[in-house]
Amino acid sequence: MSIEITGVNKSFGDFVALENINLSLPTGQLTALLGPSGGGKSTLLRIIAGLDHADSGSVEIEGTNATHLPPQKRNVGFVFQHYAVFKHMSVAKNVAFGLEIRKRPKAEVKQRVAELLELVHLSQFADRLPSQLSGGQRQRLALARALAVEPSVLLLDEPFGALDAKVRKELRDWLRRLHDEVHVTTVFVTHDQEEALEVADEIVVINQGRVEQVGTPDELYDAPASDFVMSFLGEATTLGGQLIRPHDIELTTSPTAVGAIEGVVSRVLRVGFEVRVTVLTDAGEEVVVTLTRTAARHLGVDTGRHVWLSAAAGAVTLPSAGLPVGTPLTVA
Amino acid sequence: MTTATTLTPETGVRPGRAARKRRPARAVSALTRSSGLALGVSLVWFSLLVLIPLAAVVVQASTGGWDGFVKVLQNPQTSAALKLTVVQALGVTLLNVVMGTTIAWVLVRDRFRGAAILDVIIDIPFALPTIVAGLVLLSLYGPKSPIDVNVASTRAAVFLALAFVTLPFVVRTVQPVLEELDTDVEEAASSLGATRLYTFRRVILPSLVPAIVAGAGMAFARGIAEYGSLVLLSGNLPFKTEVASVRIISSIEGGNTASAAVVATILLVIALVVIVALDLLQRRVTKRW
Repeated sequence: MSIEITGVNKSFGDFVALENINLSLPTGQLTALLGPSGGGKSTLLRIIAGLDHADSGSVEIEGTNATHLPPQKRNVGFVFQHYAVFKHMSVAKNVAFGLEIRKRPKAEVKQRVAELLELVHLSQFADRLPSQLSGGQRQRLALARALAVEPSVLLLDEPFGALDAKVRKELRDWLRRLHDEVHVTTVFVTHDQEEALEVADEIVVINQGRVEQVGTPDELYDAPASDFVMSFLGEATTLGGQLIRPHDIELTTSPTAVGAIEGVVSRVLRVGFEVRVTVLTDAGEEVVVTLTRTAARHLGVDTGRHVWLSAAAGAVTLPSAGLPVGTPLTVA
Repeated sequence: MTTATTLTPETGVRPGRAARKRRPARAVSALTRSSGLALGVSLVWFSLLVLIPLAAVVVQASTGGWDGFVKVLQNPQTSAALKLTVVQALGVTLLNVVMGTTIAWVLVRDRFRGAAILDVIIDIPFALPTIVAGLVLLSLYGPKSPIDVNVASTRAAVFLALAFVTLPFVVRTVQPVLEELDTDVEEAASSLGATRLYTFRRVILPSLVPAIVAGAGMAFARGIAEYGSLVLLSGNLPFKTEVASVRIISSIEGGNTASAAVVATILLVIALVVIVALDLLQRRVTKRW
């Protein structure tokens, strides 16, 4: 195990940021800490880096107890949301910073900097100042700077949070491929479930200072351990008191399935190829169903129409009452 | 290490884009009517207040020709006063660079009771009429000192008075820059292995240098011109505590306006040289990082 976190607690005044966190992150993996803002995931990352200290508990990195080590001694690479590049230094100087501290020979520093700039596609900008780079380029520079010292773990705090949607998506793909190449144990914090599902080998869902669930993206999506995880990873709606994904609901205009729930369409919203239909059931439940544009047109779904809803075969449902974690899932 | 990963042109190569963005193309002569008027008013005002009086002083000083300058400088009392002024002002400027930066750091980074009050008090030496400052210093560090520290009529008095009036300059130029500095840059440096001192030297100081230099330039310029705050405490002893501004006054009182103008011109040139030198120094120093 590359990172071993045991019984970590952290409070800021009255606010409990982390409560009894136990986590093992294996070597070489790309792990996402996923959760809503203010849930404690950034605090956990900063505790791993030594930028914050836990009130109690211990942090082990590559078998060394790092609980009381200062950030300088942890050999951790850290990438910040707002890049945190050294503005007065050229791109090459930024990357060389950690190597110069380690007093590596000049020729070696030069070669290593060239390699890293190649890796992050910034070779032609070596002599520029960070202010002459775009946001995405600055973040790649920050990544090269962190990787230069060959850290045992690479920590990224909302690395793509400040970038626009298109660049974010590109850098996300690129980070995944970079990780496949460099294989450094990587932990990144995000509140974007799509980002976590797409990039990570393993996702740790953190909410209100606690670990809700740990698993691969498929495990989390297919077998959410709590209604929080279910509704945080992808959309969820309730049908007959069960949490279900809106695209897992079958909508028919006549009562075909046994036990189908009857309702009236109250709203139809079209977003591109997708149509979101809000149905008010006879029991007073508001159910959201997503259909493709084609299916909606074929069924003739419109406001005021009587429809019948049922869970599609193989759909994951979960009692929505907020039952304790570990409740067996019912598969319809 | 090689890589097969690729990026689209959007995030990849973007040569020159940032540079172009920062400097919008605008012809120098393209003044609208209103901006032309504003420029005219500004220049007239600036000329009336600064350029014409400065030129008058220089003209007055040069009536005696080059010989006039040499003659005034050869006066041992005048040259002693000029030397004292420059040396003391330089000393005070150095002190301000260190103390001003420290005070700015404390005000920005440390949370303590009374920080807001201290922040206001910093401006007092600047806001106080200088002669009042002189009186305060005289009553505190003069012959009747309640704390039994008497520096009256010594060079320490000159230094003290200059230090008092120039205190706010570096503090006030460094403070806003320090407030703008992101602490995550320091955290990035520390996770890369930099000690606090190394981070200060290589990461924080370079960002502060332009502000420190600007503050130092103002402090120096104020220092060589100071009169009110030191005239009471220093005793104005020739060859010992007499500064250039006092020398100018005594020249005028003695009816020798040409000599006064020469000393004034020399002060002007010194101030210009030092400010330009500081600017050059700052450019060189920041380039090395």
